[in-house]
Amino acid sequence: MENHLQDLHEVLSKVQGYVYPNEIELNWSILIVLYPYITGLVAGAFILASLERIFKLHILKPTYGLALLTALSFMLVATMPLVSHLGKPLRAYEIMVTPHLSSAMAIFGFVYLWYLMVVLLLEIWFDYRRDMVIWANETKGIKRFLYKALSLWTTDISPKAVALDKKLGYIVTVIGVPSAFLLHGYVGFIFGSIKANPWWSTVLMPVIFLFSAIVSGIALVMLIYILLSKIRKQKIDMACLDLIARYLFYILLIDFVLEGLDQIHRIYEAEESFEVLHMLVFGKLFYTMFILQGLLGTIVPLLTLGTFQFVQPKEKIRKAVYLVTSALILIGVFFMRWNVVIGGQLFSKSFYGYTSFKIGMIGTEGYLMAAVWIIVPFIILSFLLWLLPPWKKKDEDADIQEV
Amino acid sequence: MPQQIKRLISAFAIVILLFLVMQQVLKPSSFGVSGHYRFLAIQENKLKELQYAGSESCIKCHEDIHIEKSDGYHAQLKCEVCHGPALRHVMYADKFENEELPDSLKLNKPDERKDCAVCHRINAARIKITFDTIDNSMIKQVDPMKHNLVHKKTKVELKCIECHYPHQP
Repeated sequence: MENHLQDLHEVLSKVQGYVYPNEIELNWSILIVLYPYITGLVAGAFILASLERIFKLHILKPTYGLALLTALSFMLVATMPLVSHLGKPLRAYEIMVTPHLSSAMAIFGFVYLWYLMVVLLLEIWFDYRRDMVIWANETKGIKRFLYKALSLWTTDISPKAVALDKKLGYIVTVIGVPSAFLLHGYVGFIFGSIKANPWWSTVLMPVIFLFSAIVSGIALVMLIYILLSKIRKQKIDMACLDLIARYLFYILLIDFVLEGLDQIHRIYEAEESFEVLHMLVFGKLFYTMFILQGLLGTIVPLLTLGTFQFVQPKEKIRKAVYLVTSALILIGVFFMRWNVVIGGQLFSKSFYGYTSFKIGMIGTEGYLMAAVWIIVPFIILSFLLWLLPPWKKKDEDADIQEV
Repeated sequence: MPQQIKRLISAFAIVILLFLVMQQVLKPSSFGVSGHYRFLAIQENKLKELQYAGSESCIKCHEDIHIEKSDGYHAQLKCEVCHGPALRHVMYADKFENEELPDSLKLNKPDERKDCAVCHRINAARIKITFDTIDNSMIKQVDPMKHNLVHKKTKVELKCIECHYPHQP
């Protein structure tokens, strides 16, 4: 008979102090870190796109289409970390066909569907419909069929119809901004509403998640825009990039202040959980929180982007710094999600001990699997950029003015 | 109505219709029989192999130990905590009344220092015990690397169970 005490020795070697039996293993691992991360990228990229549309910041035009397509590529993958975490591929679809309203977790289905179908797809459709009709006439074969099918076999591109597209697209964007807030606020709510976990349970959580989401989404579009311009050997529109960097700076500053406020609030309140959290932050979360999230992901970008608001170095230097800064912010926000999701499970709810977490390479919860769900959106984005290149769109305003 | 609006409405109608059809086809047959879950999931879990027998079933053959244990510190500790899952042992041990049990049916007899230390190692997170308190709700804690490691006279290495009989420590 197997020696169960041997197993017990092994399990207990992961534990410091006292933890409840169901706290030894972390049930939510890297895939659950990815879920808020990817959803955040979607919301952030969309908000950047709507800045152009709603606030008429036409300088941002070069990134408008790119931001929308980036949001869509990541949106299509947003549920995949959850589905693969559940680990039952043969009946994973059952979660989609049995919706209900009584669980906060299950509400994600509705939030997701609303955002994907009503906001993102509709906005992209109205924005591209005219171009798809034109492209369908200019191309042949499978591409022609794709354009025809995607434009739902519409043919009307009269100025009146195009003006209607524009108007409806604008309305969808106006609905879209609160929807994007709702989407990511919801993800923060899922953690913030767990009152048994003092690391998560704060009303600021949805707001913090939202702002870090906007930060990460803008950084992602900035990074993709710089890299894409390099790949396409096109000149980067520096006025656009500088403006994105300025918004990134403002929102990162708000995000930083909000997270700081949350921590100050915790420190001042010093509830009974304070000691265990204090040791967690300075112990197991030290590198991911202070070095990766705080220093590299927040302080360094704040200093560089902040300096650029006063001193403008040469274009070449700005480009390089923007590239590095956006990458740093993306890493920082990833580790912010990590610190929330993993950090919240490392300490015992008895406040008397800690467990530990070691990520594997292979397996459904390993980092290779996580890498897959980070790479797939980029593959989808490459396909979308091939099919619907924003830089090949014909100027609608010129046409409308002609009439 | 403009052409694109007509097409959009039909596209949405098709998607919703498709969802309703797919829902009927893909929904597990036993879903919703008794609440918002797959009713047969319970049956599936029932089919899983049982491992533990429960200490009641140990008493049938080992009543002497049960009596011995019942007024000691370990009275509340169930047999299978130390001896491991015992269902197969309980089911088949009867057949070997006068013979020795095969290894696959034998249970653990943990007797090493590290085995007792699973519960009795000093743990800062547990309530400390002072020498003159006698309270069964508290687990006695020792440092297994220091607590009477060798016999004072013979200098032979000691196991915990040589001084503390586990059924009545």
